[in-house]
Amino acid sequence: MAIKFNRVDFKYKGDDKKGYLALSNISLSIQGEGEFITLIGETGSGKTTLVQHMNALLVANSGSVDIYGIKVEKQAVKKKKIRLNPIRKKVGLVFQFPEYQLFEETVLKDITFGPKNFGVPEAEAIETAQRVIRIVGLDESYLDRSPFNLSGGEKKRVSIAGILAMEPDILILDEPTSGLDPMGRNALLKVFYDIHEKLNKTVIIITHDMNTVYEYAKRVLVMRDSYLVYDGDPVDLFTTKNIENWNLDVPDILNLMHRMEQDLGITLTSRPRSAAALTNALEEVLR
Amino acid sequence: MRIIEIDNVSFHYKAGTPVLENVNLNVDKGEWITILGHNGSGKSTLSKLLVGLLRAKQGTIRVANVELSETTVYDIRKKIGIVFQNPDNQFVGVTVRDDIAFGLENLQVPRGEMIERIEQYAQKVDMADFLNKEPHNLSGGQKQRVAIAGILAMETDIIIFDEATSMLDPKGRNTILSMMKQLNDEGVTVINITHDMKESLYGDRIVVLKEGRILKDDTTKVVLADHKTLEKSSLEMLLPLRVLRALEAKKVDNEKVRSYLWQLSLTG
Ligand SMILES: Nc1ncnc2c1ncn2[C@@H]1O[C@H](COP(=O)(O)OP(=O)(O)OP(=O)(O)O)[C@@H](O)[C@H]1O
Ligand SMILES: Nc1ncnc2c1ncn2[C@@H]1O[C@H](COP(=O)(O)OP(=O)(O)OP(=O)(O)O)[C@@H](O)[C@H]1O
Ligand SMILES: [Mg+2]
Ligand SMILES: [Mg+2]
Repeated sequence: MAIKFNRVDFKYKGDDKKGYLALSNISLSIQGEGEFITLIGETGSGKTTLVQHMNALLVANSGSVDIYGIKVEKQAVKKKKIRLNPIRKKVGLVFQFPEYQLFEETVLKDITFGPKNFGVPEAEAIETAQRVIRIVGLDESYLDRSPFNLSGGEKKRVSIAGILAMEPDILILDEPTSGLDPMGRNALLKVFYDIHEKLNKTVIIITHDMNTVYEYAKRVLVMRDSYLVYDGDPVDLFTTKNIENWNLDVPDILNLMHRMEQDLGITLTSRPRSAAALTNALEEVLR
Repeated sequence: MRIIEIDNVSFHYKAGTPVLENVNLNVDKGEWITILGHNGSGKSTLSKLLVGLLRAKQGTIRVANVELSETTVYDIRKKIGIVFQNPDNQFVGVTVRDDIAFGLENLQVPRGEMIERIEQYAQKVDMADFLNKEPHNLSGGQKQRVAIAGILAMETDIIIFDEATSMLDPKGRNTILSMMKQLNDEGVTVINITHDMKESLYGDRIVVLKEGRILKDDTTKVVLADHKTLEKSSLEMLLPLRVLRALEAKKVDNEKVRSYLWQLSLTG
C-alpha cells in the first residue's frame, strides 16, 4: 500500500480558540499504481484537507498516515526528521487554486521548478516543459509569459502542466477541471485517464462534476462533514445510495437513461457510462 | 430598455496583442445573458471593462445611459456588481462579516440596515455560521459563497457572475442559480459567465466569445443547437443533443426518440 490512513483526525487551528475539526476518524488505503479515484462531497466537507495529508502538506493530529513506508508524524516533521522531498516526488498535488502554486517570473520557470528541484538537468527540464505545455492545450509561446498575466483557465492549465512535468507515481488533482472550457475539460480528463491506463499510475481527482465521476472513476470516495462516508464503486453509489443527503447529484447519462426508460419505455441491455456507449446501447435496441 | 451598451470596444494588455476587438453588445434591463467562450477568449476582461476596473482602448461603454469614464465610474459601480472568477481577489476584510460589510460601506448603507443585510445574505448562501472566520481560512466553495453574498448584499441593478459557481457542490450550485433566477424575475439584470453549458438554460440569450470577438449572439435555443459555433469555441452540446446527433450519424432514425431528445436538449 502506497498511502495508508489509520483513524486520522485533523483540526485546523484557525482563527478562533476552538479550532476546526476538518477530518474525523479517516481510514483508507491507496495503491501506488493502477487506481483511478474521484473524491467528492459537499462544500467544506474536508476533501482538500484530506489530499493535503497525502503528500505531507498537512500532518494529522491523531491517528497515523503512512506514505511509502514513511510514518508522517507531527513531532518528526517538526524536528525535520522526515525528508519530504522523496514524498513530494512520488506524490504530486495540483492545488484547487492555481494562484497558490504559481510563483515564478515565467511559465517556463514555474514548470521546470519541480523537476529541477528533484535533480533533473536544466536542458531536460526545458524539453519536458515544452512537451507538457502542449499536453495541457497551450502553445509554447506561453512558456515566456508571466503566470500572473493569464486567464483563470490558462493558469489552471499551467498548474497542471507543472505536476505532469514531475511525473509522480500518484497524481492528485484538486478540482482540475473547474474553470476549464468544455473541450479542455474533456481533453484533460483523457490525459489523466491515459496516464492511469498506459503508465499504470494512480490518479486521484477531486471534483463536483458527477459526469466525471460516472464516466471515469473506478473508485469513489465521498466526504461529508469531515467523515469519509463512502469508499466504493461509482455505479453502486449513484444507484443505491441516498446521494441527495450528501449534496450530490445524478450524472447526466444516468439521468437521461432513466428518463428515456420512464417516458419512452426504452430498456437498455447494458449500463452505459459515456455518451458514446449510450448511443451504442440505444442503437442496439432501436434497430 | 437598454441598460448596457458596449459600442465598438477594443482592449489589449500589451500593445500588439489584442484581447478584445470591436466588441458590440447591448443588454436590456432585466435580461439574463450567458457569456460562453474558450479559456482566454476575453470573458473576464470584458467583465472588468464593464465595471471600470480596466479601461477600453477604443470605443465606449454606457451603463444605464451614463458613459463610463473616470468621473462616472464610482456612480456606475453602485449599479453594477461583479462576483470575481477568483474569490480571493475580492476579499478585503479580516472576517467574512467585514468582507460583506465592505461593499455596503461603499454604498453608504446605514449601520442598522447593514447589519441586517449581512445576516440575511450570509444566511442565503448558507454561511451564517462563518461570519467571524477569516475568508482565507475557508474551503474553495465556502469562499465562492462568501464572494457571492458580498455582491448580492449590495442589491445592485446589474450583477455579473464570472464563473461564480465553478467550485460549488451540485446542491449548492442549484441553490445559487435559483437565487439568481429569483433576482432576475424581480428585474435584476444578470450576466452569467460560465463553462457549464447547462447553466445557459437559465437565460434566453447566449453570447459566444472567440479570440476576443463576438462569434455569436443569439437566443439560447439557437446557440445550443449550433454545433459548428460550439465546436469552434471549445464548447459542447448538451448530452441529449449529442446523443441525438450521434444516432443520426449512425443512421438510426426513430421519430419518437428524435423528438424526445430534441425537446430535452432545449429544456434541460
Ligand atoms: N486554514 C484553515 N483554517 C481553519 N479552517 C479551515 C482552513 N482551511 C479549511 N478550513 C475548514 O475546514 C473545512 C474543510 O475544508 P476543505 O478545504 O478541506 O473542504 P473541501 O471539501 O475541499 O471543500 P470545497 O469543495 O469547498 O473546496 C471547512 O469547513 C473549512 O472552513
Ligand atoms: N493581466 C494580464 N496581462 C496580460 N494578458 C492578460 C492578462 N489577463 C489576461 N490576459 C490575456 O488576455 C486574454 C483574455 O483573458 P481573460 O481572462 O479575459 O479570458 P477568459 O475568457 O476570462 O478565460 P477563462 O475562461 O480562462 O477565465 C488571455 O489570452 C489572457 O492570456
Ligand atoms: Mg477544496
Ligand atoms: Mg475568466
